[in-house]
Amino acid sequence: MTGHIEEITLDTLLPRVFSREELPYSEIWRKKVVFHRGKRYLVESASGGGKSSLAAFMMGSRDDYEGTLLFDGRDTRSLSIAEWQDIRRSNIAYLPQELALFPELSAIDNIRLKAEISCAADMSRIDRWLDRLGISDRRDFPAGKLSIGQQQRVALIRSLCQPFDFIILDEPVSHLDEANNRIAALIVEEEAERQGAGIISFSVGNPLLVENSEKLNL
Amino acid sequence: MGIISKLLRKNTSPARIAGFALSNFIGLFIVAGAVMFYIDARGIWEDDDSFINTDYLVINKKVTSASTLGDKDATRFSAKDIADLQSQPWVRRIGEFSSSDFRVYASVSQGGRGMETALFFESVPDSFVDISGSDWRFEPAQSTVPVMIPKDYLALYNFGFAGSAGLPQLSEQLLTGIPLKLYMRSEDGSRSLSMEGSIVGFSNRINTVLVPDSFMQYANSCLGDNQNSAPSRLIIDVSSPGDVAIADYLKDNGFEVAGDKSGSSAAYLLKVVIGIVVSVGILITLLSVFVLMLSISLLMEKNRSVIYRLLMLGAPLREVGAPYSRMIIVGCAVAWFFSMVAIIILRSFYSSALEGFGIYADGLIWAVSTGTLLALIVITVNVAAVSRKVKGAWSLKRKDA
Repeated sequence: MTGHIEEITLDTLLPRVFSREELPYSEIWRKKVVFHRGKRYLVESASGGGKSSLAAFMMGSRDDYEGTLLFDGRDTRSLSIAEWQDIRRSNIAYLPQELALFPELSAIDNIRLKAEISCAADMSRIDRWLDRLGISDRRDFPAGKLSIGQQQRVALIRSLCQPFDFIILDEPVSHLDEANNRIAALIVEEEAERQGAGIISFSVGNPLLVENSEKLNL
Repeated sequence: MGIISKLLRKNTSPARIAGFALSNFIGLFIVAGAVMFYIDARGIWEDDDSFINTDYLVINKKVTSASTLGDKDATRFSAKDIADLQSQPWVRRIGEFSSSDFRVYASVSQGGRGMETALFFESVPDSFVDISGSDWRFEPAQSTVPVMIPKDYLALYNFGFAGSAGLPQLSEQLLTGIPLKLYMRSEDGSRSLSMEGSIVGFSNRINTVLVPDSFMQYANSCLGDNQNSAPSRLIIDVSSPGDVAIADYLKDNGFEVAGDKSGSSAAYLLKVVIGIVVSVGILITLLSVFVLMLSISLLMEKNRSVIYRLLMLGAPLREVGAPYSRMIIVGCAVAWFFSMVAIIILRSFYSSALEGFGIYADGLIWAVSTGTLLALIVITVNVAAVSRKVKGAWSLKRKDA
């Protein structure tokens, strides 16, 4: 994959675990859905609706689904490992629900690590984000020693430290208060705007407060 | 990529890496040392007799009272004997000795002093004699016959006879330069032949006065009475000198081996011993490879979630494997370096002895090449295992699902 990904197309996609079950109403599973670069989406679902599965399919870490998932018309099943790594570095940013921080590394090293991998370190911007999210005094604390809410903010900043066409946020503010939620949403909006990227955020009840999002029920 | 390798080296056990380096060192040292010793020591057993291959045995039947009393055939090899020999697994090919069917007298004159002796000739098929090209050939048109005599004959003359008879000692170089006057006549004296002979070599391994087969046929047809008799000596090209089966067979059939065969037996034993040592060394090297593979696998298994998370962040596989490959390469390089140093030290223990034997072998080069090759193989195998393991980590969840 070189250059930008303009569209992510879900064509009658369904996690294999759901294939024998009676599905509740869904605007995504078994439908044709297209996510466009530059637009904002909020995917809401009940717990167990398969949002983390969908994120994993789009990140290439799982492929146990029926139907097809296409990046600009290309079937993602045909992507090589190297191409997926490329996409993870420079096309799709991802904040997993489980955060996947390295607890033994300091908050700032967790962020710096991602910036190094994606060769996109802009330390002054990172410092501003830490400041705005109110965790700059925790930058040298081991990530494992931070509260879940603080960890969530560190992981959010980390996910922004790379070039991306889409950012997938899996319950990014589940442990944040409304004030921090708004700041986080604003930062994500600004960075997505700057990069011309699309935002896909998942929520089971406490959505990231991004303005003008198209809502989809999973 | 300081942070990445710091993360990936978590859980590294220095003891395990040291254990690998040590066992790899021992393996490399044994293999390379054995190869070096073999190449170096080969020269000691290898005869300075370059004319007759060490793999050749000369055999005859035991001389008994019966043969002394006139039964000449008692010491001759029958066609059946030869066929039976030929069927032995350790026999590559057999050459028959032909002996002269006429009288031979040889004389040397040097500075006014002369010496004459009755002599005899024998020949073996030319393919058994390793003398380059034209030196070992005879054509009726030429008047010089190349002759090879046993080293022992010269020693007998120099140290036994010359002193007591007041004659000068002769060196090999001198003798090869002196023309030999040969006078040959038939049994009944009716026909004779005069020729010049020149000594072209001295052999340790054939106890006879050897002439080219072509000359023997020519002279026998001129001077002999055409009695084609069975050979009393055979030269055998054997595939494994020192094989017990050979000794047993010869003993059972009442055959004797002429000349010194200890050299070939020792060389054979050397080969066997070195073979065993090299196998042990290779076994240890293999074990060290497994120790390394297991420790790296264990380490990567312990760090599996770290590796997985790094891959999810988009880290290239090559970069994720690099710290482990580096560990392997450094461990191997250290083991290689010290084993090569140990090899050089080992050689210094016997290099002076080697010079004493007058042997200048290039065992060290062979040892270093072998050790380096082995180390490179160990590195390649393990680095390949690391990259397989990283790929496995990449598709971790895919497999789980």
